[in-house]
Amino acid sequence: MTGYRGLLWLTRRETLRVAKLWTQTILAPVVSSMLFILVFGLSLGNRIENIGGVDYDVFIVPGLITMAMVQAAYANNASTIFQARSDRYVNDILSAPMHPWQVTLGFTLGGLFRAFAIGVALFVLAVVLVGVPVKEPAALAAAVAFGLVLFASLGTVVGIFADSWDHTTFINNIVILPLAFVGGVFYSVDLLPSPWEEVSHFNPVFHLVQAVRYGFLGESDVSIWLALGVTAALAVPAYLWAQWLFTSGRRLKA
Amino acid sequence: MKEAPASPAPALELRGLTKRYDDGTLGIEKLDLSVPDGAFFGLLGPNGAGKTTVISAVCNLIRVTEGEVLVFGEPTSSLRARHWIGLAEQDINLDRFLTVRETLLYHGGYFGMERADAERRVDEMVDLFELHAKADVVAPKLSGGQRRRLLLARALMHRPRLIILDEPTAGVDFELRQELWATIRKLHADGTTILLTTHYLEEAEALCEEIALIRGGRLIARDSADGLRAHYGADTLEGVYVKAMAR
Repeated sequence: MTGYRGLLWLTRRETLRVAKLWTQTILAPVVSSMLFILVFGLSLGNRIENIGGVDYDVFIVPGLITMAMVQAAYANNASTIFQARSDRYVNDILSAPMHPWQVTLGFTLGGLFRAFAIGVALFVLAVVLVGVPVKEPAALAAAVAFGLVLFASLGTVVGIFADSWDHTTFINNIVILPLAFVGGVFYSVDLLPSPWEEVSHFNPVFHLVQAVRYGFLGESDVSIWLALGVTAALAVPAYLWAQWLFTSGRRLKA
Repeated sequence: MKEAPASPAPALELRGLTKRYDDGTLGIEKLDLSVPDGAFFGLLGPNGAGKTTVISAVCNLIRVTEGEVLVFGEPTSSLRARHWIGLAEQDINLDRFLTVRETLLYHGGYFGMERADAERRVDEMVDLFELHAKADVVAPKLSGGQRRRLLLARALMHRPRLIILDEPTAGVDFELRQELWATIRKLHADGTTILLTTHYLEEAEALCEEIALIRGGRLIARDSADGLRAHYGADTLEGVYVKAMAR
């Protein structure tokens, strides 16, 4: 059982932290995303024609769920690791008899737990409010898995490199949120004029939103295989980067 | 918990240990040191001498530039060796989200303890360090003395065979210092090897069987307190320290 109990307890610790801070970690993002659905979907949605045959209030739900989940996965790991470094209790984990891969996995699972809790809550509310379907559950599961690993790993890397809280929030506010907004959460990029439609295809969040939308609605602006492929192609190196940082000790050990 | 090998390997052995930090600062240079199993060993030196660097190298908390660290004959990077080490750091580094009980329980989990065993051990530690009244209080709400006790309890939680105490009584009052000394002495009497760093010379003299003096990352002397006094021709350990560090 070398290190496996440690992995279990580290994962438990990360989920305990999320549960103890549930108003900040789960409730706040759920409320925020619900407001988007209510304001953009149910209010403005009446004035917007359906997109690709899908009602606007249903169309925006996959993107909003994606946005909330990836932000949570990123923010969770960036904050928990930066806090552990800042208060130096990360030493209790680094000195423990765990393999680096177990530490990486434990932190990643914590981010996934928080994001998943938000995603499930939003999904249930969206079913009640707008009746969003799940037409391709396998694609949805794959898209969510790759997307959350990507952003939880990014959070891990930033949490390890950050010198201040500002650094962790900077990436969220300046990179992730804008990419999500221009990634087709609120519109179909097919509606954009050239070259913005083509430029959108270089946005990694666009592909993740498309993959999740395909999972929910059975349609997307690009092939599901391309969308999943791009997301996976980013998730794997991001996870390996986080893993390498724990293995090498860079920025974690002097 | 796995047993240490039956071989007479020292509790701790440093072979040519060198640590050069990324900014070029030399923390320790070609340090050789052996601490026998069951010893109470003191590491003395001024700020920046390399004491914490040595401890960090033993506990896998720095990237060693060169050399080898063995714990009961096992490389310190191995998971077996890490099972055998308990560390109480100089700075209070408690998880702010966990209560006293959770701090101990989760530490036991990180170190591979079964839940039932860990829960029993938490009760023992809470008893030993008189933390009952604060068992369900999170670390930031503890007093300085309670945090120091919790740090020590956490280091002992997984029943390590080598306990490393980095200035464990820094900033604590006289009463607590006496309590901690008594606890540490009892641990040693039970066969635990203890490596202690301290700025308090009377603490080193009162507790340690052997003392190593380090300066500028190098070992400059090693002996019992009596041996050091004789070697340096000093009446007190303070006199030894002043002469050794001035050379």
